[in-house]
Amino acid sequence: MDLRKQQIAFYTALLFGALAAMGWGLKTAGIQGAMFGFFASFTLGGGLMCIWERSVVRSAFSLMATFCGVAGLFILLGHDFLAMAQILIYVGGILVLILFGVMLTPPDLNERQLPRVGLGVVAVVGALAFVGAKVAAVVNWAQAETLPPAETKAEQIGAAFLRADGYVIAFELAAVLLTVALVAAVYIARRKPSDLIDLTEEGGY
Amino acid sequence: MSEQTTQYKPSITIADQQAAAGKGAREFMMDVRTTDLEVNMGPQHPATHGVMRILIRADGELVTGAQPHLGYLHRCAEKIGENVEWLQYLPYTDRYDYLSSMNNNLGYSLAVEKLLGIEIPRRASMIRTICVELNRIASHLVAFGTYGLDLGAFTPFLYCFREREWLLMLFEKICGARLTYSYLRIGGVFNDAPPGWLEEVEQFCDVFDEKWVEYRDLLMMNHIFIKRTADIGVITPEQALDFGLTGPMLRGSGIDWDLRRDMPYMLYDEIWKAGVYQIPLGSGAQGVLGDCWDRVYVRVQEMVESIKIVRWCLANIEPGPTIAELPKVLRVPPGEAYVGIENPRGELGHYLVSDGGKVAVRCRVRGPSFCNLPILEDIMPHTFLADSVAIIGSTDVVIGETDR
Amino acid sequence: MSMILIWLLITVACYGAVIGTAALMTFAERKVSAAMQYRYGPNRVGPFGLLQPLADGVKFIFKEEVIPAGANPWIFKLAPILTALPAMLAIAVIPFTGVIGTFEGTEVLGSIANPEIGILYVLAVTGVGVYGAILGGWASNSKYSLLGGLRASAQMVSYELSLILAVLAVVATTGSLNLHEIVAGQSGWFGWNVFSQPLAFVLFLVCSYAETNRHPFDFAECEPELVGGFHTEYSSMKFAMFFIGEYTAMVVMACLTTTLFFGGYLVPFWADAPWWMGLIAFGAKTSFFLLLFIWVRWTLPRFRYDQLMHLGWKVLFPLALINIFVTGLVISFGPGAN
Repeated sequence: MDLRKQQIAFYTALLFGALAAMGWGLKTAGIQGAMFGFFASFTLGGGLMCIWERSVVRSAFSLMATFCGVAGLFILLGHDFLAMAQILIYVGGILVLILFGVMLTPPDLNERQLPRVGLGVVAVVGALAFVGAKVAAVVNWAQAETLPPAETKAEQIGAAFLRADGYVIAFELAAVLLTVALVAAVYIARRKPSDLIDLTEEGGY
Repeated sequence: MSEQTTQYKPSITIADQQAAAGKGAREFMMDVRTTDLEVNMGPQHPATHGVMRILIRADGELVTGAQPHLGYLHRCAEKIGENVEWLQYLPYTDRYDYLSSMNNNLGYSLAVEKLLGIEIPRRASMIRTICVELNRIASHLVAFGTYGLDLGAFTPFLYCFREREWLLMLFEKICGARLTYSYLRIGGVFNDAPPGWLEEVEQFCDVFDEKWVEYRDLLMMNHIFIKRTADIGVITPEQALDFGLTGPMLRGSGIDWDLRRDMPYMLYDEIWKAGVYQIPLGSGAQGVLGDCWDRVYVRVQEMVESIKIVRWCLANIEPGPTIAELPKVLRVPPGEAYVGIENPRGELGHYLVSDGGKVAVRCRVRGPSFCNLPILEDIMPHTFLADSVAIIGSTDVVIGETDR
Repeated sequence: MSMILIWLLITVACYGAVIGTAALMTFAERKVSAAMQYRYGPNRVGPFGLLQPLADGVKFIFKEEVIPAGANPWIFKLAPILTALPAMLAIAVIPFTGVIGTFEGTEVLGSIANPEIGILYVLAVTGVGVYGAILGGWASNSKYSLLGGLRASAQMVSYELSLILAVLAVVATTGSLNLHEIVAGQSGWFGWNVFSQPLAFVLFLVCSYAETNRHPFDFAECEPELVGGFHTEYSSMKFAMFFIGEYTAMVVMACLTTTLFFGGYLVPFWADAPWWMGLIAFGAKTSFFLLLFIWVRWTLPRFRYDQLMHLGWKVLFPLALINIFVTGLVISFGPGAN
């Protein structure tokens, strides 16, 4: 099967998966369920695309769907602060850096010449979805009666991070870890003088 | 050497990749390596003044190699000079460096006059000097204005063109053309200055003295401008001599050499002895000696010096004939002559050989832009991509003249 | 039902105002620059050339669309949308004026939406604007575009940090993320945040220029080096889309500057001004910052790319950190601390 047909098959499967998820959500929990299906399929679909696509840039770009989907799930839970933070940090920051790094590396098609399972993956996913749907129809899932408090204010999140009985130690540890990672990254990425070759000698230039 | 440099060979082409894929070769990069981009600046590119093409190899933002390519504007000027009559060639000289046509006329006229061995009327020399120096200002205004444009400062460019417009109007009044004048003829100038012209030049000098301060403060002393140009594209004095640079490029590196003083022609010896003008030199005021800022500042200062020369001429001009008596069909005595003059861009030399006929046997032009260009290859590597624009701008090449 | 009607009306008014301003900005830019440069500027289409944006729009629509060979068509088409969309989304929470009136027991505010996390929303959404530049640059299959896209991404990411920290200082003094509350917190004599947070204001202003890719930080599209940067290969309406996105982002940033530091729709020395007066005050303040955008562009030379990064990371970022630290100290131990 050529590349184009594979792509079409994959994206069609993805689309139908998303529609199925939304329909299922609509059936079980009304409009909110449909929204959940929508965002969940965004989240999972982005991840699948990330694995599927050959171009590294497209893979990275597909993560945007994942992050946005997660943000959407946060909004559904009533945590708009977290949702916005998710977009601000992951979509606006981290993904840009990933793309930045990816775009600077050479476009090497060989890298992605992994044996593609192609239809196999689609079949497995389809089968799992089918089984999942069957199971869902039979099993009566316990649904949480109450969602976590919907109105988590920025104030409360801040306080939880900085109070002694909150997450202050984890927070500080994360800060230390990030600093260490940053310093290490700078150390690794720093160009040693020996790496600089005098390119003017190379001839032609 | 070869082991390491192969890594930096031009980026892999698609064909190479397909070939590699066909062999079933799977290579993993052990190191995160960034690709070298080959950026073609020109022939159609906003940064190159004219149709110059510079092939730049960039590692991200860092320029690792640069190579100027020429020939997109070649018009066989020298060969034409060997096929048309002496006077007929004069309009072709306008076209080499179209920003300083008066200077080109002058260089050719002086060379032919040297072969003829004739004396030029004093009033003609005066008007020539005025025109040439005004043309130098006009040329430097373009160089300075477009340099601002290269660095992203739009407005000084239009201010420069406001003054240049006045200059072009002055030229139009005296010879009817705005760009390609053919006004300085063999033996003098085409006609006398029209009534009131010299007074208007005087007015221009007064206005320009004020405006010059404005330019200097607006652009040259701008903090961002200094940061962009100081310490960038440094040409050491030794390098400048090695590459045979002339004009502001050479003086920007602090070497005191100006043909007007050191190999005087026309009235320049007299003017220099009268102590009218100085030769501005690069001093490394904002950074290292010979950086872009120095070169540009030399040009800015030269404009004021030119104004001083013009003022001296206006004060000392006397009535008289403006062109020497010459036959209609010029037959130049056999011999050869080389005359180099100080063009706004450096030494413009005309080497002419005559066998006594109506047509030159050899007509060779030494163009300043052409001789100033090769240094780009040396000073551009290991700068940033944005610097390359600053460096190209500071050389102030006119492609019409590099290619001729 | 009629509540929805009012809401629709406000939405249309806000979007119309901002996009109309963006279109007018393209005209104003040319007219102001012309005035600065002894030129006339556009003066042929309509009175004083006022219909020039319209003429430009018509021209853009009728231009041929070119998608370069080797371009990634999907992403190439998506990029202009990703530039214009975030800027337009950000309009949704900007408070153009205070309470307009009460309708069916609900207060009608001068903004489309009024979420608790208004400022965070604006920052998050404008942060997404960088994708247009990156993906447009990458998908064009052109080296100039790629370099432009790379520059844009690096620049926006690094300046966004300082921008957020500058905003954070304002948020700390006000104690709210809600834009209406931030405006309300600036009432009274010298109540504007620009007086209590001058450093944050300067930081925010500089960063907003970098965020919107505006001169002197317009590396992503600086024409001497990169021809047109990331939109070199774009033509027709796609190019216009980049333009609209850029100018809308400018308008949003000017609105935000007004809201955060200059008292938004508050009228100085007139505490209980009617809502339309607030609208005029907001418009006047925003117009000034829009003019500033133009003024700076036609006056200064452009920075170099590495100088921009140095400025961002070594000057603005530490300053922003210090600013927020001092703000925190003052809030905790200063005169107003409890």
